[in-house]
Amino acid sequence: MTTSRLILKEILQRKLNFLLSLMAIVIAAALFVSFFTTGEASKNETIRLMRDIGFNLRIIPEKTNMEKFWRAGFSELTMPESHVYELASHGGISYAHLTAILQKKVIWQDREIFLTGIAPEISPPGKKKTPMIFSIDQGNVYIGFEISQSLGLRKGDIIDIFGKPFTIAQSLSESGSVDDIRIYAHLHDVQSLLNMESQINEIKALQCLCLVDNENMNSQEMLRDQLAKILPDAKVILIQNIATARESQRIMAERYFGFIIPFVVIVCMSWIGILAMLNVRERRQEIGIMRALGYGSSKIGALFLGKAVLIGLIGAVLGFGIGTGLALKFGPAIFKVTASMITPQIKLLYWAVIVSPAVCALSFFIPSMIAVAQDPAITLREE
Amino acid sequence: MIMIRLENASKTYQTRHGQVRALDRVSLHINEGEFVVVRGPSGSGKTTLLLSIGGMLQPTEGRVLIKNSDLYAVSKKQRARFRAENIGFVFQLFHLVPYLNIIENVLLPVGVGRSQYGQEDAKKLLDRLKLMERMFHKPAELSAGEKQRTAIARAMLKNPKIILADEPTGNLDPENSEEIIRHLVEFHSRGGTVIVVTHGKAVDRYAGRVVHLKKGQINEP
Repeated sequence: MTTSRLILKEILQRKLNFLLSLMAIVIAAALFVSFFTTGEASKNETIRLMRDIGFNLRIIPEKTNMEKFWRAGFSELTMPESHVYELASHGGISYAHLTAILQKKVIWQDREIFLTGIAPEISPPGKKKTPMIFSIDQGNVYIGFEISQSLGLRKGDIIDIFGKPFTIAQSLSESGSVDDIRIYAHLHDVQSLLNMESQINEIKALQCLCLVDNENMNSQEMLRDQLAKILPDAKVILIQNIATARESQRIMAERYFGFIIPFVVIVCMSWIGILAMLNVRERRQEIGIMRALGYGSSKIGALFLGKAVLIGLIGAVLGFGIGTGLALKFGPAIFKVTASMITPQIKLLYWAVIVSPAVCALSFFIPSMIAVAQDPAITLREE
Repeated sequence: MIMIRLENASKTYQTRHGQVRALDRVSLHINEGEFVVVRGPSGSGKTTLLLSIGGMLQPTEGRVLIKNSDLYAVSKKQRARFRAENIGFVFQLFHLVPYLNIIENVLLPVGVGRSQYGQEDAKKLLDRLKLMERMFHKPAELSAGEKQRTAIARAMLKNPKIILADEPTGNLDPENSEEIIRHLVEFHSRGGTVIVVTHGKAVDRYAGRVVHLKKGQINEP
């Protein structure tokens, strides 16, 4: 009587124990397979969604002294206004909002203020977008909270800036930042007031992405590389908060997987281990008689570990089938953007076929050792 | 020729209620081809004695020698092999494997080491024990007498030198008991050594010798 035949005969005799053990491994394997099958789509969807948010950039003249820039909040150097149109019309970059800015610290009404000229925002061709900054008509200004409070200015008042009259179109609420001492006007008005025609000192680019694919670079590097080609006399500053949010999102997703995987493994191993323990108890006398007939420890152990491996193999195949089926049925409804990525992952079957029998064998290990260590002199006397 | 010798063999069990001395300095020899009955009341140490002779229960003190070799001086593996090749066990509760049919139960000893015995030998035995018609039945479908005959066939398959029977007729009616004893006598008549432990007297008339065991001590008349 071979070991495999004994295992099969025992399984057929105690179907319930076998089916319950098999169920545990099928559930575990199906869970993993569905997690990983949809997990790839989930990961890619997250990446896609986050990537679609894009990068928020500040593009400034290349030779800007960065110490002064950070201290002042703007570049003292300028670049041609035409840069913003070159960027907008270039096919290699996508963006949600582009705007050209010229700002300078000036003395007005005996106080230091930031005079900021903003060009009308440029949206991608064919897409009408809500302005992310301001859209200020020529002849109008928006004034910061501190200025309006200290000078008692209201919406509709007319003010004189360097000899030119402007209507206050908006008195801004308190921001708690340098914006409270800022006057915003149309870019061309500010260029005229400062005698800096067709000059700007910053381009703000929101949700900016590189459309040229390069496998050797990450998206941030690709974007910088592409911008350097389009605007060789400009430098790019990445506003980090979006990138940080993306990184946090990825780490959170990985931690979630990292928690759920060991949890499921432990629960299933315990389940299988308890069933194996019950199986050993039920077979005490059988083990005893085999001992009496001369069966050694390795043969007794093989009966249990062999069964574990068989359960693991069948469970892996069934679990793969069920897990893949579930992922294909429900995955596309959950991950709409990357639904097409939810396809059967054959590599998961290979993994399941290796890991499931190993997990089962590990679960059976202690019960098998107990079976091997049982004293037949005691079990054979039990009624 | 002496087949089995026990030299001052004692066995002490540790229980919740303290120590129990199941065998107390037992010295006994059994010759090759002898039919010995070990008789005693319940708890007298009969099964302990049988399992000690069978290499399954090491005495706490003393020695068990089979053909002058100390059975417990060898490794567990060697002892298991010795048991597989030389000893057949018959138990009161039959101890058949429930998921194997009758012929598979009889063939169970073949699973240990290399064996010259196979299905044909099993069938001959089943024929001799009037179990041919039950060959493919499971133990649960058999009567008590048939189960014990199956256990005897299993014990005899590899033509062992010794059969150790623990209350082999304890669960059987008189008719089936007679039949089981007859098979043991047949084995003995072919030169085999038989040791039967029992609390009854039914087997005494077939035995060459009856050894009385009381409170773990031999009390030979």
